[in-house]
Parts: sequence; C-alpha cells; structure tokens
Amino acid sequence: MAILPFDLVSGLGDLRVWAIWILPFAAALIIPAFGKVSKRSTGWVAVAFALASAISAVTLLPGALGNHEIHNQIPWISSIGIKAGVLADPLAVIMSNVVAWISFLIFVYSTGYMKGDKDLTRFFFWMAFFLGSMQLIVLSDNFLQLFFGWEGVGLASYALVGFWYKDKKKDHVGVEGRHVLGLMDYYSPTHSGMKAFIMTKVGDVMMLAGMFLIFAFAGTFGFRELTANTSWATAMAAQHLLIPAAVLLFGGAIGKSAQFPLNEWLLEAMTGPTAVSALIHAATMVKAGVFLVARLAPLFFALAAIGINMDQFFEIIAWVGAITALLLATQGMVHPEIKKVLAYSTGSQIGYMMMALGVAGLSKQFVDGYTAGFFHLISHAMFKASLFMAAGSILHIVGSRFMTDMGGLRKYMKKTYAFMWAAGLGLMGAPFITTGFWSKDAIFAAVYQSGNTWAIPIFAIAVITAVITAFYTTRMIGLVFFGNKSKHVEDMEKEGHHVHEASPSMWVPYGILAVLTIGVGVMGLAFEHQIHDLFVNYLGSTFGIKSSVETVAMGSQPLLGGFLEGVNPVALMASLAAFAIGFGLGYVFYIGRFVDPVKFVNSNIFFYALHKFFLNRWYLNALIYWGFVVAPLYVARGLYKYFENFVLEGFNVVPEKTMAGGARIMQATQTGVSQSYLYIFGVGILIVVFLLLI
Amino acid sequence: MQFILLQAVLLPLLLSPVAYYLGRKSGPTAAALFSFGLLLYCTILVIVPVLSGSYEEHYKWTQLFGEFGLLLDGLASPFAIIIYLISTVLALFSKPYMVARITTMFEERMNSEKQLVGGGTEMIESSSLKNHVNHQIGAYYALFLVMAMGMLGTILATNLIEFYVFFEVMLIPAFFMLALWGYESRRRVALLFFFWTHVGAVILLLGFLSIGLSVGSFNYADIKTHGIPPHVLALAAIAIIVGLTVKMASFVVHMWLPHVYRASPTPLNALSSGAMLGVGAYGLFRLIIMLMPGQYEHFALALNIWGLITMIYGGIMALVQDDIRKLFAYSSISQMGYILFGIGSASVLGLSGSEMMFVSHSLGKVILFMMVGAIILQVGTRSITKMGGLAGKMPITAVCAMIGALTLMGIPPTSGFMAEWTMFYGALQTAIQQGSMIRMATFGLGLIATVITMAYILWMIKRVFFGKLPENLEKTKEANWYVTGPMMVLAGFSVVIGIYPDVFFNQIIPFMKGLVGV
Repeated sequence: MAILPFDLVSGLGDLRVWAIWILPFAAALIIPAFGKVSKRSTGWVAVAFALASAISAVTLLPGALGNHEIHNQIPWISSIGIKAGVLADPLAVIMSNVVAWISFLIFVYSTGYMKGDKDLTRFFFWMAFFLGSMQLIVLSDNFLQLFFGWEGVGLASYALVGFWYKDKKKDHVGVEGRHVLGLMDYYSPTHSGMKAFIMTKVGDVMMLAGMFLIFAFAGTFGFRELTANTSWATAMAAQHLLIPAAVLLFGGAIGKSAQFPLNEWLLEAMTGPTAVSALIHAATMVKAGVFLVARLAPLFFALAAIGINMDQFFEIIAWVGAITALLLATQGMVHPEIKKVLAYSTGSQIGYMMMALGVAGLSKQFVDGYTAGFFHLISHAMFKASLFMAAGSILHIVGSRFMTDMGGLRKYMKKTYAFMWAAGLGLMGAPFITTGFWSKDAIFAAVYQSGNTWAIPIFAIAVITAVITAFYTTRMIGLVFFGNKSKHVEDMEKEGHHVHEASPSMWVPYGILAVLTIGVGVMGLAFEHQIHDLFVNYLGSTFGIKSSVETVAMGSQPLLGGFLEGVNPVALMASLAAFAIGFGLGYVFYIGRFVDPVKFVNSNIFFYALHKFFLNRWYLNALIYWGFVVAPLYVARGLYKYFENFVLEGFNVVPEKTMAGGARIMQATQTGVSQSYLYIFGVGILIVVFLLLI
Repeated sequence: MQFILLQAVLLPLLLSPVAYYLGRKSGPTAAALFSFGLLLYCTILVIVPVLSGSYEEHYKWTQLFGEFGLLLDGLASPFAIIIYLISTVLALFSKPYMVARITTMFEERMNSEKQLVGGGTEMIESSSLKNHVNHQIGAYYALFLVMAMGMLGTILATNLIEFYVFFEVMLIPAFFMLALWGYESRRRVALLFFFWTHVGAVILLLGFLSIGLSVGSFNYADIKTHGIPPHVLALAAIAIIVGLTVKMASFVVHMWLPHVYRASPTPLNALSSGAMLGVGAYGLFRLIIMLMPGQYEHFALALNIWGLITMIYGGIMALVQDDIRKLFAYSSISQMGYILFGIGSASVLGLSGSEMMFVSHSLGKVILFMMVGAIILQVGTRSITKMGGLAGKMPITAVCAMIGALTLMGIPPTSGFMAEWTMFYGALQTAIQQGSMIRMATFGLGLIATVITMAYILWMIKRVFFGKLPENLEKTKEANWYVTGPMMVLAGFSVVIGIYPDVFFNQIIPFMKGLVGV
C-alpha cells in the first residue's frame, strides 16, 4: 500500500533530499491561506506535509544504510562564490528520519491538543516552520545555510514558547510570589520566549565567530570541502586559532542544546503549548546542538591524522556535558511542575549525549562514543516525545501544571498511565527491555573504556546522574498516578469535570512512541550494533577514521557471553545498580509512600539546604539575571540620566544659550531711542575725524 | 538613453508645485497618488540603467565648478534604489498620517482660539478644516518631493560642489517639515536640527573647498587622477569625516538626533532614518575611501572603533527609552554605528556588508517607523508603558513589525543577516591579516553588540505587542492599507534580499573589489 508513494518519491532522485526541508516550509507558506478558509484545516495541511517530508526521508534510508551519500549543490551567492546544497550522508539521513517521524507524530497530537484554540493558523505556521528549519540544519552541506536553519529554529521557538502572547496567569511557569535572591521565579510566556531567543543568540554569536574564523582560513563553509582539504587546519593550528574556533562553534551547540552555562532558557520554555515542548525537546531545537557536534566531531577528530591534537576541544565537550547532566538532574528531583521536571531531564540527557561525543574524541575508539551518543539521541527522542505528549494530556485534563494537583490518576487514565510507564522506564534505563538502557549503557561503556585521564570522574558523574534520573522519573510517575486524588482533582470533580482518558488523536502518537521504546529496547543491542557498524563504515570512508575490529577487547575485563556478548561488564553493573538504587528510592518515597518526602527533607538541615539549593536552581538563573539583566539596566539608566541627558546635552544647551545671550546683547543695543542713536553716531563721526587728522 | 537620471533627479523638484497645487485643489488623496506615481516612475528610471551595469550622464555646468554629472555605479545604485523605493512607499504612508496630524493641530488651535473667543460655528469650522488640510498637505508633498530629490542628487553627484548643493537641499525641506508639523517644542528642535546639520555641512564645505582649490577641480574623476596635495590631505579628510559623521549621528555628535526624532512627524522620521542618515555613510564611501585611499587606511581603525562605540552606546540608550520614537532614534544611532564599523573594516566583504547594512537598516527601520506611525494613528500614544497586547488587534502591523525587527537584529532569512555576516566577517578577515588584537577585540565586541540590539528590539516588541491589552485600547483597529501595504512591500523585499542577496551584492562586491584593490 505504501509502496506506491514510496516509488513515486524515490523517482525524484536527489530532489528528495531538498523536498525533506522544503516541504515543511511550503506548508508554512500555504497555511495562512488555508487558515482563511477554515482554521482546523491548517492542522491537516501541516500533518500532510510533515508526512510527505517523512516519506521522502524514509526513502533515503536504504541508501544511507549502505553508506551511500547524496551531495547536491546549486548556485547561491555567486558574487562571493557560495553555493547552497544538501548533504545526505548516513548521519544526516538517520537524524532526518528521527526528526521527521517524531515531528509527524507530534503534529498529529497537536491537532487534538490545540483543538479549539483561536490561533491555530499561527500555531501550525510556526510548527511547520520549526520542522523545516530543523531539517535544513540536518541536511545542509555548509555552515552558512545551516545557520539559516539554526536561527530558524531559534525564531520558531521564540514564537512558539511565547505562543500564548496575552500572558495569562495560567500560562506562566514557576510559582507566583516565590523569590530567589530577590528576583521573582515566575515567568510569562512572552518573557520566556524572549529569554530563549536571546540566550540562544549568545551561543549563536559564538558560533558565527567560529564559522568566520574557519571561513577566513579555508575560504569555504562546506563540510565536505573542509574534509577534503585540511590545509586550513594546519594554518589555523599554527596561529593557535583552531581550538578557539572549534570551541566557539561548540558555543552555538551549548546555546541551542541548553548546556551549562546557557541552560536556563530551557526551563522557562515550558510556557509554550506542550506539543511545542515535545517538539523542542525530542525532535528539533535542543537536538540541533547535538547534531552540530556530531557533524563536526569527526571532522576535528580526523585532524589527528595530520598531527593536530584536538583533545582540549573534546575535553570541553565532555565536561560541559557531564556538568550539565548532573546540574539539571539534581534540579529535576525537586521541582513540582511536571513539564519542568521533563525539561530538566532533557537538558540532563543531552548532557549525556555531549559527554559521549566528547569522550569519543578522547578515546582511541572514536566510533564507540560516537555511536553511543547518537544512539542515545534516538532513544531519547522516542521516550521524551512520548513523555511530553503524555504529560500534555494530563495537563490538558487536570488543568494544572503542578504535580501536587494530580495524584491517583492511574484509575482514570489507564492508557496514559501504561504509556507513561513504558516511556518512563526508557528514561530511567530499565534493564534489558528499553532503548534508554542500552543507549545509556553504551555511553557508560564508552566513557569507561576511553582510557582518558578524565574517564573515571566523568564515569562517576554519569552513574550518579543515572541514579538521580531513575529517582526523579519514579517520583514523577508516583506523584501523578499513585496515592490519593489531590484536592484540586476533587474540586474539579465536584464542579462536574471528571478526569478521563485523552482523545485518540492524542494518545495514539505517544502510545506508538512508548511501544517503540520497549519494542526497539528488546532488540536494543542488535540495533546498537547495526548503528555501530554503519558508523564504522561511514567514519572510515568519509573521514578516514579507522576503528579496530576488537571493539570490546580493551581493558582486562572478561567478556560476557550469550545475548550480552560485547557488553562491558563494569558499565553493565553500573547501569543495573543505578537503576535499582534510583527506582528503589523513588518507590519508597512516592509509589509505596512508606516515607513522607516532605517530612524527610525537613528532618535534617543538610537535606533541607540541599533541597532549597536545587529548587533555587543552584542560584544560577538568579545570578545570570543579576549580572546580565538587572545590573546592566541599572547602569544604562544611570548613563542615560547623567551622561546622555546632562553631560552630552551640553552640546545642545551651550550653543543655544550662547546664541540666545548674544542675541540679547544685540537686542539691548537696539533701544529705539533716537537721541542715543544720534549720540553714538556723533561719537563715531568724531572718531573718524580724529583718525583722519592723524 | 539620455536624461534618464536627470529626469529622476529633477522631475520631483520641477513637479513639486504640481503636488502642491493638486493637494490644494483636489485634496490629500490626489496629492498622495500623484507623488507616489511620480516617485515610482523615478524609481524605475533609477532601476533600469542598473540592470545593464554602471551608467553615467554628464552635463555642462559653470566653468568654476566643473561639470554636472550623474553617476550610477556599484556604490551608488543600492543607495539610490533604496532611497527612492523608500520615498515612494512613504508617499503613500504619509497620507493618513499627515491628514491626522494636520487635523489634530488644527483642532488644537481652534480649541485654544475658541477659549479666547468663546463659542464657534461648526459649519465654518468643518469647511475651513478641509481647506486647511488640503492646503497643508499640498505643501507637505511639495517638500517631500524636494527632499527625495535632494537625497538622490547627493548620491548621484560626481562633483564636490554638486554634492554639497544637494546635501543642503535635502536639509531645508526636513527643517520645514519638522517646524510645521512636528510635536512639542517643534520650532526649537527645528532650529537645533538646522544648527547641527548646518555646522556639519559647513565643516564639510571647508573640506571640499580646500580640496577643490588645491587640486583645481571639483570633479571626483579629476581629483582621483590628479591626487590631492599632501598638505591639505589630512585636514580635508578630517573635515569631511566630521561633517559626515554629524549627519550619521555618530557617538558624541549624535545629540541632535534624539530631539529631532522625538519631535518629527513619523514619515519624516522614517525618511530621515531610512535614507538621510545613510547619505552620510555614502559620503564616507565616496569621498574618503574612493578619493583618499591613503587617508582611509590611516583612519580605518579609528572609524571601526568609533562605530563600535556608537553601536554599543546607542543600543544601551535604546534599552531604557519609554517614548517609542526616542527608542528608535537611539536604535538608528546604533545602526549607523554598525555601518561606520563596517566602513572601518578595510576589507572587501566588510565594506560590502556595510553598504548592505544601509539597505537592510533602511528596510527594517522604515517598517518599524511605519509601525510607530500606525500605533500613533490607531492608539494615539507614544509611551511604550501605555501599550501592550496589540498583536491581537493589529495583526498585519505586528507581523510586518516582526520582520522589520528581525531585519534589524540580523536574523535570517532577512536582509539583515546577509549584511551582518559579511560585515563582521570582513572585520575579522582584516584582523587576521593584520594580526591586530585591537581589531580582533572590536570584532568580538561588535558581535556582542548584536545581542544588545536584539535585547532592546525584542523587549520593545514584547511591551508593544504582547502581554495584557490595556482596557482603553480594546477598540483599537488595524491600520488601513496606506500603512499596511507599504509595510508588506518592504517586509517582502527584506526577505527576498535575505535569501538572494545577489540582487545588490552583484553590484556592490565587484565595486568594492575595485576600490580596495584585491
């Protein structure tokens, strides 16, 4: 049945690659016209085009799995000699498929979630624009064109995070009246949109600087051109500009992927409709940074072959990832808002991916870390999209963003309950049956085996973070589905609003992804080996990065047999232990409810302080506001008042007063009294006569 | 093909009495459409020769000054096209704005007179209002046409005296427009404006005279071939730079601009910000970089730093404004700083980006000033704190304003990005070539300034268009097509250039290559 469109699309050849990103933009263009006819139709236009784009992407898969590459260019800015182009290598094609299919499901979900909203046209315009921009990032063959998509996702996130632009109370995030370091921890949608755009722009500016540095030496923005001729790298390394340029490029990824220290926008981005959050977290925005690193890491790693050491660059990536993973996971443990917990979790999981990609560059076996990071990206995309959409349904039905307003929902939302468990287990890394387990385990193994000096501390952070992850996920599920109904839910029921299951257009998309999390998870190891083999070929043929065959023979551990063949036992033990501890603790507090967490925290000054520290976001957000918003504005007001309006205004006032004063003197001489004129006239005559006589 | 550019320059001047007469006899619509049609024709006259490359016309003038030439090369054409394009669309936008402005002024005067005389007859009042509006709008369009012509003449001039004459010609209508239809303390501000720009112009004239008298000719071509004698060179360069930076409102000599923008009627703001300030930048390209390359090398770094200071300072000032017009006044100062930064970049792409910056700033800023005009017309306030939530009431204005804002912020796919990336890249290139840490630092700080730009613009957009709608604005309506039409045209143009910048780069880049000698 699906063969017919498949063939049709395959017949398009290289145009398929263009179609993947052009189709969503085309949808965005025509959506306003459809919106004039019927608002609801805009959703179906978006879904149809997303599906077309996804089909187009899937036709590229067979070629990509055979390590086939499509690189197609057209003239663009010919006055500077810059071409536009698409590059569909295995990396891009897999990424593009993940983005396309998950976005498609989210679009379907949106048609249900946004039903009845007045501004559907605007919503779907930006959703389609978002998807198009992301695909543009994935498929671009050069930095400049990539940057179009890069800013496109920034713009779309600005518009969608601030979608409810009227800033009604219910659309805010944070707790009204709560202050951290004297600043309110409560944000409106439009404020949050602005925050996201400006904060990511800081990263973008760094990325631009990095791009320009490379362009200045290489004379090209093209990824393949940069790989083909690496003389630019030698020249840059000679001037000590290569690592700064690489780190600046990574700055862009830090901003987009919400990594430390530009992580704070991600939490406020929860003001957007939940479908948007799902899109940002699973398929588009934050994954863009990881993709950029995945795009660049082999390029820089391959420079080792010509004797350029990029270790510092990879160390920075690994550490930024590790710090972010821990930083955000700790905060996820304590937050009361369900979407914010998921947001913290995303930042933390992206940290894992960065960690893996960074570690890849530090180890001899580049492909291990690379595969692990990318595998985690795929599995995270599935379970996080599912979790967000499920959380969205719950919000939708309960009408509150606080988990304390939920509770005991498992009897009323059975499907959502089951799917949330499945996806949640993925996030926790439940052993052997979830994708999350295998991908996290791969990261652990890559870190552990890297043989780098930092391997052990980073490994420790990774494991601690995994414990915390399992804990907060259990907490979230426990708070929402277990225990008694909250007062809020009871009040709702009294008013006649009964808690019920979400509509099919909503639960089917997240159901599919939840099932996939388990389904792919069961075959997780085989799936991983598949990607691993593909990347061995890809990295070898494109970048000349060789991988030794005896992947797991490193270290002195005995190898595991049976279905676990090829798995590192230390990493495996760590994964199992992390899951067991985190889940166990979570069970005790939130599902079994043997211990009251509130009493527990208050019982001990240390736990109390720690809880407060986490809840106040390590004070990072408040410090950023003080340093980059409050203080500069204060200075600006002072400058305006005293310098501009007083000192510099002198340039206007002094000539004006001088002229006015001069005029007054001149005016004083015009007395209009004829005697005085005659008198002065006489004096003048006398002087002239006197002068003549001499 | 003869007299094409001569027509484009002189027709608006010669036909300005017609605009006046039409306004008086047939009312605002006739005058607006006449001016629009005339300027549209002249814009086409400017665009047509550009399609076939560089183009020039020469006419006999007095022996004393040299010849009267009109030159449309890679440098002049983007300036010329944008200036006339903007004048054309502003001719439409002016109509509803100026009619409202003149009506309000008339009513204010009648009210104050009524209080003196006591009572009044409605009949006489309404017919005299109509006459008054017709009369004044005719005068407005006559001045408008002369101003457009002055700006184009400055750009196309091939002779220093010609440049100076047109340069002064564009000031006079601006002065009258400000003095006649401005806001609070308009006469005082008009004098202030005249004083500052005149001081600038006189310094400029001193530079011109010293060059012309020592070389023996005022023609650019002659000056270029003969070269300027070294003893006047530095002095002339400084005089010209100072004279033109006053026009561009660079830091320290910007003090006239916030006052003028606060008091001007919005179409004048738009015309001034979008076109007139840029004439200063054009002068730097033509007179400093082209005629005095040696001096340019000497001053490039200073201009670069000056630009940087201006862009940061203007941005910081824009952050704390409440009057939306003053906000854009400081924004214009900051954006002119970008252009100055690019002029000081001393590389092909930096200079090209700088010129592109003029194009994109004009498009973006004129859109935003039209937004200001639309808000003043529909809402009746200029204070940002009194606005909010207008996106729902004025959706077209909001969307266009957003595109204008993106253009200023340099976000793709608007022309702003194409301008910014080439300009900053050019600055970096020079920094690397010269191994200059100072240039490296100005490059970095320049990029940071773009974040400041983004901050003040997004904050303004948030406070104007988002958030809670104040109760007294519930009945706000979308502006009419005289306002939204021009906005949409410019917004569309910005996106087209942002995706396909070769529209202008094809002319600019070869020219700059010749100029810098790569």
